[in-house]
Amino acid sequence: MGTTKRKSVLVLVTLSIHALLLAGCWDRTELNDLAIITAAGLDLTEDHQLELSVKIYLTSPSSSSQQMGGTSGPDKGAAGLSVVRSAVGLNMADAASRLQQLLSRRMFWGQDEVFVFGERLAKEGLAEPMEFLTRHYAPRERANVFVSKGAAKDVLLLNPPIERSVADMLREMSKSQTGLNVKMKELAQMMAGRAKAAVVPLVEIESEQENPTSFPLIRGTAVLKNGKMVGSVNDRATRGIMWLRNEIKEGTLTISPNNTKGYVSIQLLRAHTELIPHIQGDEWSITVRINARDDIVENTTDLDLSNPKHIKKLETELGYDMKQRTDMALAKAQKELNADIFRFADAFYRKYPKKWNENKDRWDDIFPKVKVKLEANPKISRPGLTGKNLFKPNQR
Amino acid sequence: MIEKGKISASQMGKMLYLAILPTAILTTPAITFKFAKQDLWISPIWALCGLIVIFVSLRLHRMYPGLNIVQACERIVGRFPGKIIGFIFPLFYLYFNGIIVREYSEFVVGAFLIRTPLIVVSGSIVLVCAIAARGGVEIVGRFSELILPAFITLFLLIVVPIIPDLQVTNMLPIMPEGIRPSIEGAIVLQTWFSEFLTASFLLPFVADQKKSQKSVYISLLAVILTLIVSNLVTLLLLGELTGNYTYPFLTVARYINLADFFTHLESLFMAIWVLGAFVKICVFFYVTVLGAAQWMNLSDYRPIVFPLGLLLILFSMWVAPNFQELTHAIATSVTLAIITLFVIIPGLLFCIAWVKRRLWIKS
Repeated sequence: MGTTKRKSVLVLVTLSIHALLLAGCWDRTELNDLAIITAAGLDLTEDHQLELSVKIYLTSPSSSSQQMGGTSGPDKGAAGLSVVRSAVGLNMADAASRLQQLLSRRMFWGQDEVFVFGERLAKEGLAEPMEFLTRHYAPRERANVFVSKGAAKDVLLLNPPIERSVADMLREMSKSQTGLNVKMKELAQMMAGRAKAAVVPLVEIESEQENPTSFPLIRGTAVLKNGKMVGSVNDRATRGIMWLRNEIKEGTLTISPNNTKGYVSIQLLRAHTELIPHIQGDEWSITVRINARDDIVENTTDLDLSNPKHIKKLETELGYDMKQRTDMALAKAQKELNADIFRFADAFYRKYPKKWNENKDRWDDIFPKVKVKLEANPKISRPGLTGKNLFKPNQR
Repeated sequence: MIEKGKISASQMGKMLYLAILPTAILTTPAITFKFAKQDLWISPIWALCGLIVIFVSLRLHRMYPGLNIVQACERIVGRFPGKIIGFIFPLFYLYFNGIIVREYSEFVVGAFLIRTPLIVVSGSIVLVCAIAARGGVEIVGRFSELILPAFITLFLLIVVPIIPDLQVTNMLPIMPEGIRPSIEGAIVLQTWFSEFLTASFLLPFVADQKKSQKSVYISLLAVILTLIVSNLVTLLLLGELTGNYTYPFLTVARYINLADFFTHLESLFMAIWVLGAFVKICVFFYVTVLGAAQWMNLSDYRPIVFPLGLLLILFSMWVAPNFQELTHAIATSVTLAIITLFVIIPGLLFCIAWVKRRLWIKS
């Protein structure tokens, strides 16, 4: 009797101790102990050191005086909920630990969805910072990456009015698929892949610095070769890159058909790009087959687009427009930058693994000479809600 | 007999499945990728060692019903050599379990509880496993029956949401250099398939013997299928990068993003890992304890559970000074050791037993 009682008391005591420990209160981390980073920017300083800037979302902006260490001022924008801090170090990890010294809260990378690399750093090479970002457990593989024209820190300092913070803005803008949407995993894949060439969306700042309504804008593409930025591509050619990389998901194309005045705009519904490589003797060529489905959304020409004959003609014109854009991208990549940003190397490897392995060291010589044939098949499926233009009764 | 509990054939199958898979999902994609490249999903099909080991365990158990391989060994090659092998087996199980405990805690500490000392993580899992193993084979069997549905659900919760992010082109071209790379990649996997020898220690406790053969083979098939799925998912997501990540499947879980709110699912993977590793360590620990007790002719194995548990924690510290050496050892010497001990020796034993039986029938 006595032993069972003693035993049950012992069990009870053990259980109560567990109850105390398992609640986890003894080493809790409250939300306001964390500096939640929503975006990080990386720049190269004059003396070739790395400057890491982070946008910190203030979970409870109780501390009124945010001026610390004189590194950078707090945002005075409309939101006023985020601050930017930056620190200089020898490499990523060093800069990160120096940055921690400036903060009263522990840095938390888990919510960091945006990484911006300054143009100067990108030209010097992204391999080093990417090493940290892939090795360390905290940065997310799904975070978006950008290259900024000018300093990355300036992008972080913005407080665009629509979204909660600049990080959300950049992320949502790249998600809308009108520009490139590159995740850290994809950048790592491109940099380490067969072609050793990568594309990263370029971020520009619209309007002047001190203006509270200035906002970041994705315009064009930075092209990386062997981890270093070798050039940039403008907005129009970026669409060409996206066509070739099979990354176009939505968009509006406006063309002006021959022999008419005015424009026809069509909306892209679906698009798919296929790369079909051929090797004949020493000649490497690739056929790019683009299938697209579109709807007409606007027509200010004098063509009656309910007439199938005109649709055929329009499709040819569309194909021509697509060819122009892809040609622009190709010319830039093949002739000027010699960077295989269209994954041609992968396509060749998949079809001709043996030939590829024999020639993989010569890829830099082969790529500029690869003949590209474009087969664009845009199909216009519907005229929209009106057939003839309501206000132009005498359309052809 | 030391153990009086009984398990069902399906429980044994589930125990084996959970005793083999968890660590295989975690580390093999990276090692296999180094050899097999985009054919790494084919590698699990070459489960030759698994087939041999299962065949040998089943046949030996049919020849010597109610005896595990160590006990049968004494009958086959005599008392003294039998005792030597009977010593090596529990010792190796202990060593190998040490590696598993170390892998488990290295992962938990390396990817999640960065600041927690290794010993706390390994100590707590060994304590729990020791208590379970002390309960006997029935308890371990029921645990695996209980945990398996959760394990599979969590596994699917990682595999299904990642489907939109997969790129099928990553697996092309299939077998550009023939089947050789995929077979080379399968060599490391043989370590895991050899672990099916554990079946030999569980077979004597199976109540419905007739179903045991089917159950073990289903278990092998399930392991192969799960490995194909996990390797394929990893490959289709990460492509060329698969070999560079320490825990590729963890990266898969981290990458999941469903509708922007169902994200950061590595905690699910952690749950899989803890559940799976628990059963795995339990089964191996139970085999160690049972083997040791039989070797010393003890009437009960319970008194040595906790001392061996302490030894297990120490082994987990001793196996390697750091993670790099651990993975290096797994890819090289451990593979060799385990194939010798779990495949070649049982194979030889089986041959001797078979010849002896033939001679005996003739005379």
